[in-house]
Amino acid sequence: MDTISQSVVRKDHGDKVSGRSLYTGDYAPEGMLFGKLLRAELARARVLRVHVPALPEGYYYVDAKDIPGDNNVNMVLDDSPVFCRETVEYIGEAIAMLCGPDEETVGRLLSACRVDYEKLEPVIRLDEAHESFFDYTYSQGDTEKAFAEADKIYDEQFETGYQEHAYLETQAMTAEPEADGRMFVHGSLQCVYYVRNALQRVLGCGPEGVHVMQDVTGGAFGGKEDYPSVLGCQVAVAALKCGKPVRCVFDRREDMACSPKRHPSRCRYRVSVKDGRVTAMDVDIRFNAGAYSTLSAVVLQRGMISAPGVYQIPNTRIRGRAMKTNTVPCGAFRGFGAPQTFFAVEMMMDHIARDLGVDALTFKQAHLSRQGDITSTGGRYHFPVPLPDMIRETEALCDYRRKKEEYQKPQTGRFRRGIGMSLQFHGGGFTGSGEQDIIKAVVRLRKERDGTVEILAASGEIGQGVRTTFSKIVAQELGLPLERIIFEYPDTALVPDSGPTVASRSIMVVGELLRRAAVKLRERWADGEVQEVEERYRAPDFMIPFTIDHFAGDAYATYSWAVMTAEVEVDTLTGMIRVLDACGSFDVGTPIDRNIVMGQMEGGFLQGIGYASCEKIASDGTGRIRGASFSDYLIPTAMDVPQLRCMLHVESYPDGPYGAKAAGELPLVGAPAAFLEAVEQALGGVSLSHVPFTAEDAFSVLMKGGEG
Amino acid sequence: MAELSFILNGSRVRYDGSAADRLLDALRNEYHCTSVKCGCGEGECGACAVLIDGVLHNSCCVAVGAVQDAQVVTLEGYRETARFQALDRAFAELSAVQCGFCTPGILLAAEALLSRSPHPDEAEIREGLSGNLCRCTGYNAIVNAVKRAAEEGDGLW
Amino acid sequence: MVNGYVPASLQEALEIRAGQDVIPYAGGTDLMVKRRPDAQYLFIGRLPELRQITEDENYIHIGAAVTFTEALADPRVPALMKAAVSRIGAPAIRNAGTFGGNVGNASAKADSVPVEVAADAKLRLISLRGERVVEIESFYHGHGTHDLGPDELIAEILLPRTGLDHWYYEKVGGRSALAISRISFASVFDMQEDRITKAAAAFGAVSDTVLRFRDLEAMLIGRSVAEAKDMKPAYLRAYDERLQLTEGRVSAQYRKRVCLNLLEDSLRTFGI
Repeated sequence: MDTISQSVVRKDHGDKVSGRSLYTGDYAPEGMLFGKLLRAELARARVLRVHVPALPEGYYYVDAKDIPGDNNVNMVLDDSPVFCRETVEYIGEAIAMLCGPDEETVGRLLSACRVDYEKLEPVIRLDEAHESFFDYTYSQGDTEKAFAEADKIYDEQFETGYQEHAYLETQAMTAEPEADGRMFVHGSLQCVYYVRNALQRVLGCGPEGVHVMQDVTGGAFGGKEDYPSVLGCQVAVAALKCGKPVRCVFDRREDMACSPKRHPSRCRYRVSVKDGRVTAMDVDIRFNAGAYSTLSAVVLQRGMISAPGVYQIPNTRIRGRAMKTNTVPCGAFRGFGAPQTFFAVEMMMDHIARDLGVDALTFKQAHLSRQGDITSTGGRYHFPVPLPDMIRETEALCDYRRKKEEYQKPQTGRFRRGIGMSLQFHGGGFTGSGEQDIIKAVVRLRKERDGTVEILAASGEIGQGVRTTFSKIVAQELGLPLERIIFEYPDTALVPDSGPTVASRSIMVVGELLRRAAVKLRERWADGEVQEVEERYRAPDFMIPFTIDHFAGDAYATYSWAVMTAEVEVDTLTGMIRVLDACGSFDVGTPIDRNIVMGQMEGGFLQGIGYASCEKIASDGTGRIRGASFSDYLIPTAMDVPQLRCMLHVESYPDGPYGAKAAGELPLVGAPAAFLEAVEQALGGVSLSHVPFTAEDAFSVLMKGGEG
Repeated sequence: MAELSFILNGSRVRYDGSAADRLLDALRNEYHCTSVKCGCGEGECGACAVLIDGVLHNSCCVAVGAVQDAQVVTLEGYRETARFQALDRAFAELSAVQCGFCTPGILLAAEALLSRSPHPDEAEIREGLSGNLCRCTGYNAIVNAVKRAAEEGDGLW
Repeated sequence: MVNGYVPASLQEALEIRAGQDVIPYAGGTDLMVKRRPDAQYLFIGRLPELRQITEDENYIHIGAAVTFTEALADPRVPALMKAAVSRIGAPAIRNAGTFGGNVGNASAKADSVPVEVAADAKLRLISLRGERVVEIESFYHGHGTHDLGPDELIAEILLPRTGLDHWYYEKVGGRSALAISRISFASVFDMQEDRITKAAAAFGAVSDTVLRFRDLEAMLIGRSVAEAKDMKPAYLRAYDERLQLTEGRVSAQYRKRVCLNLLEDSLRTFGI
């Protein structure tokens, strides 16, 4: 194992394990006002009037009229408001904030508020949505010709549900007006500069008017990528009006009902097969974006690019739409659109293989992409594709072939088993030219006289270990002990914009910049002097320029790869599904700290199994999310997947630090397909097409005598 | 009527608020024990777990009146013990802390388990931690860390 | 103390209960979720009189404030009851949750109650006026309501000492731990001199209250195993007709089919 991969004690360990870390809600409340949001009770309505009760001294009502700048939260399009405009567009949309020194009094005042609405007709369900925020199409080859010449055409539809991030710490932000007139906003978040940019616009100020710091953050998974910009603007507008610090910490029900989730999806795959090979895929992807567009454009793009999976499909036509509905806006979530389409394509390949009477894995292997092959967008797989080796390793670990054969035989007992395998990649960093044209990451290293080196970067520690891994990279390059490297929670007043903490880009992109900066510092090192070096992103030379207009070129510089299996047992009396074993081989390049990377693989894998099985959000016909609580939305406990085994396959990447690639999102992406393929086998070889797939779903298949 | 008081991390404290208040809020707001986290407020996540007379409880589901004269231990008190050090070491070696929000509750759940069963097998550990949700780790590192703490801290429990 | 009473004895607790508008608080796990900040609680969870498990000739007496964890550690508590309460929530919830609270909360999802119903358990209710012993089934009036007087406390649950050796228990929850029952099923079976003397089946979490149908059980009582086998299709059909279940996180139809499956499986394990 490389030295860099050897695990160290995490930089954040001591404070967290002893309970000393202060999360946003832990700061002493003295002098602070508590903010609570007045939220829409209808999915679509004109807000005619808000009846606010008489407010005691020191209590404030804050709404859109209090916004000094623009009532628009910076995202992709200008549609997400800070506080609602004339209409509310989903249940839970913020109308106003009530603030005051006593939390319970604020709560009481809030429940005394009455809103007069003029009810408008909402669009609740994806299948009745007609307005799309984004509608893209791209193609390769000649799909029509391939369909015309096909031996057989398959046509199936796949669905995935919401997924709630369920970070253990709910959304929480604080705004504090400072003596010099600046607004200081800090909270539980992933991207300090996203929040800062949003604040500048809403407060109508320049970069000098505001600074944003990340507090210790209790999990994020994408859920604190865009939303802290909304909540950050809300508390900042309130703090400006009240002239006092304002903090807003969501309770769990509020968080689950009102914060973004993973986009529910419906993907239709039409696939032509000739001579036992897939010749074309015509894919129609619809994501339920919810009421505002937020990050749906980029989530959709990644989903579309991933639509043909890890396979070489000569002719493709991929259409993707993000549809508007009057439901809670969806946003970023680990995997970022790819879990939906990877699920669909893996199930599709599985179903075609079954229809052709061939083994699914063999069928998939015959279509695998290899180094030098073109990608779905006409780019190249520039580096080795290690899937064949990883398949062999995973097969050996879980005894895949033997079990697949064994479970293929008719099963008659109460408990029936199945095993499934899925194959996937995750492209590292922002899609296409995003890193180069939009993010333009900058990092700095500052050496103090005493020889300690501080990392100045905007990446946030969200549990993924970035304070440790970045420090390790710099320490390694400078030959310094880890204690001499300092990396604090980022504050935009102090660190340059190295880009958001998203897209599995931190190690691969920002980490490499830090490594280069460290090389620079090493070369210029002068004892006893304060020194600062800077490094800026430049795209690797080998990349084929990408244009989003045509979805053409290298969407990603390189890919991380995964092979995942799940073995399940279905109780025919109740439909309950137990995961007996879950195995995965993951190529994320060189692990910068083996424990940390394994923690990402295991955590992501389990999140993916939850997504596929027990994590279900139901919404009623009015657009209200039912059961927004931890007793209804069930995430896996320590007992749900007692055997979860991950291993690393290292295919190092020359342009990543010490060969590291993207890691964080990959392990979630393939879990749903592996799980559902296993369930299909346990249920006697049925074809299934949706997740989450619950006990009740399994039971209804059994009741129908095994027809999916 | 007697005043409401209990023993918090070894010291007797008086509570002047309502006996119906949540212990969770009292611990955080009155006594600044902010290691006790609110993850759900419904007893469904374990982030607010504390020891009451040595027994694991979700402090969001305990009214202050119910701990009259009881011994309440939070991580603020527990972190001063040798047992904590054994867990701390094992959690550090296996990187079992990620975002850290569930960690205080997990540690007290581990203490409750080990004080009852000093040499638990893996299934017992998973059972013992089953009321403490962790969204980051997938639990393997935590389970292995508790196992290691039990081995290397042999004799402490 | 504001908004609460911590009685030193059961007698004191009964006096407060009789004189004040208080909510008996044992473990708090249900009460605190439905939290009412203005509630006046009577904290009975640590009264020694309510925390004992004792036996007499006919019954095991489980004090109302005995927690599930304590019951699991007690050799006198029947295996059927342990099977049910071991699946409740997770350790912290079992450490706090009590038998009296589970009954008093009057939720059909309370996991100890189907066992009590199937086992013909009784409740001992006490007040300054005296005490009364009621059948568990007759205690409930419907969802969330029961027969506890405003001055009464649940003192203990009386489980029969014999006749609980042949049992069956299953719980359907959304995950392996920390799961509220979507369906729970408990049954107890007994024979004397080759004749079925008991075939009790209780269905939890599927309706407003725990369901048990004594008239349908009567189809099997007094019969031999062979006769019961002949009777089985009619017996299952009768349950099929009778089980009118509510929709919840899972559909009524699913609940019903699973209930029937479990009923049939329980008969199978009893040799029928």
